[in-house]
Amino acid sequence: MGEIVIGILLIILSVVIYTQAGVFPPTNEAQLNAGSFPSAIAFLLALLSLILILSNLKKLIGRRADLKEMDTKTYLKGLYPEYKFVLFTLASLFVYILLMQVIGFIITTILFIIITGYVLGPKTKKDIVIISVIALVVTLTTYTFFENVLHVRFPSGLFF
Amino acid sequence: MFDLLILGVSEVFQIRILLIILLGVIVGILAGLIPGFTVAMAIVLTLPLTFGLDPVAGVSAMIGVFVGGMSGGLISAALLGIPGTPSSIATTFDAYPMSQNGEPGKALSIGIWASFLSSIVSFFLLISIAPQISRFALMLGPWEMFSLIVVSLTIIASVTGDSIIKGLIAGLFGILIATVGADPISGISRFSFDIRALRAGIPFLVVLIGMFAISRLLVSLERSEREKDDRKRQEDKLKNIKFILQPLKTMKTVLSKPGTLIGSSFIGSIIGAIPGAGGSIANIVAYDQAKKWSKHPEKFGTGCEEGVIASEAGNNSTVGGDLIPTVALGIPGSAVTAVLLSALMVHGITPGPLLIVNEPNVVGGIFFAFLVASFWMLITQFLGIRYFMKVTQVPMHVLVPVIIVLCVIGTFVLNNRATDLYILLAMGIIGYLFTKYNFSLAPAIIGVILGPIAEVNLRRAVMANPDWTLFLTRPISLTFLILAVLSILFTVWQTYKTNARAKRIIR
Repeated sequence: MGEIVIGILLIILSVVIYTQAGVFPPTNEAQLNAGSFPSAIAFLLALLSLILILSNLKKLIGRRADLKEMDTKTYLKGLYPEYKFVLFTLASLFVYILLMQVIGFIITTILFIIITGYVLGPKTKKDIVIISVIALVVTLTTYTFFENVLHVRFPSGLFF
Repeated sequence: MFDLLILGVSEVFQIRILLIILLGVIVGILAGLIPGFTVAMAIVLTLPLTFGLDPVAGVSAMIGVFVGGMSGGLISAALLGIPGTPSSIATTFDAYPMSQNGEPGKALSIGIWASFLSSIVSFFLLISIAPQISRFALMLGPWEMFSLIVVSLTIIASVTGDSIIKGLIAGLFGILIATVGADPISGISRFSFDIRALRAGIPFLVVLIGMFAISRLLVSLERSEREKDDRKRQEDKLKNIKFILQPLKTMKTVLSKPGTLIGSSFIGSIIGAIPGAGGSIANIVAYDQAKKWSKHPEKFGTGCEEGVIASEAGNNSTVGGDLIPTVALGIPGSAVTAVLLSALMVHGITPGPLLIVNEPNVVGGIFFAFLVASFWMLITQFLGIRYFMKVTQVPMHVLVPVIIVLCVIGTFVLNNRATDLYILLAMGIIGYLFTKYNFSLAPAIIGVILGPIAEVNLRRAVMANPDWTLFLTRPISLTFLILAVLSILFTVWQTYKTNARAKRIIR
């Protein structure tokens, strides 16, 4: 099932690339302009995605009998605990990136490690202490290393 | 060949660089050991740390990680029967029974020696073959370079993942990612859709960090993966095995089987040189071949010495093999060497057939760093193996946020652009979906790095002569293209055959 969705998404991507590739200004020196190579690749990608979709549809029809027996409700219920932490981590990473530009690297990084570590971990008191210490050490050492040795300027945010 | 080595010695033989390589080896061994942490991930995260170093030191550090990582999987494979990395699956077949029979120290020692000696064999193959190939590659025009990339990509697509269609799709997707941003020849901005984050293109390293590090972490967060991990850790605690390493005795044991050692090293080097195929395939193929050629094939799987030697020699010798196309052609055989090449690019060094001519000190440095890393690996494994074992106890919920932060820092350091972080997140999700549905990531990564080179060569070829048939009439180019078609046909035929066999068994 998932392969079919991915295939469809890839075909949409190919179409977008293909139509976009037509609008580049033609260059005079060559027969191949900026859009030729990407549109050729997009064409191939769409073709292969189509093959992927068709072969998976064939498999799906062949297996239809088994699918009916499976209860969609229990299947969906099982999905949440399986992917709970994946979704949480993705969301927290997104918030982390977003906030980093507002309140700065140091504070957001420490918070990110503590919160994510707490949610993923066993949530005992000892654990919170350990993860907080690790968060402080990791953040401050990497910060000093990159600022002083490699002269990277991290987003400093409102407070510093 | 020797002038290159001498240059390399003079570049690398400084206390500072020797220590950097040692550090790299230790990081690599730890990465190989910790479940859920791969060598590719370690190398990706090492890269930002090397930006401040000169090119030779930076590349040396990464080679250290590479060599260490290939041998790190041995420890958990031998003692726990769990491969720490995919590259040590076949190692569990004989090293684990051997330690069950009461000889864990022997299993480890033999594995370490086999890793070391096979690295040396592949080192000699590397320094003797790579310069010849690059000399040959200098004669290739844009037509041949384009066809070479086509064949590399089809081979990668056919050896990785569960179907060639998915492999090719991943490769093409990678090429498309690389087309975002400025066109390599005329500089026209392409496919940025007026999004600020995309205007400067999608940096290769961000794709790599997202696809190899973030997505791998996400996989390890799934519940079934976490439960597997917990079970492993429980087993770990039960097995506080005491063992005695016997460095000298086992060296003789390994050297007394030169056929297995050298044969497996050659297999490993050749497989390593094939784009896309790496330690995980070499490990199993070398084991299998050693079993076929052995006088006592029935002993394999019961803890025999030859099995340990073959499997560990197979995976460690891929390092040298992998470096052959990387150095000689600028075509990386794996994610690890792709990072190596991009590290060179960060320092303004263009990889390709001209690398040996233009930057002999860098190439010599790579060669010699490989040799040094092998020695460090031998020493640290024998001295530090007991301490390395403890690292497997670091819990997942600490590891994940810390590594994510390192990924974020690595991405940010690259260009000092906060918008790159959104690309990182997107690539992590794409990489995760790819792994979920068994699209292999290697072709996508290699596609990102080779796509622009393919485009430049294609357009140069057509600019030089608009005749398309030149791709088919120039003999070397034609050979490459025929190889590409054959690699696809062969894989299709093979899947068809295995499917047919599976059907027969069901009936």
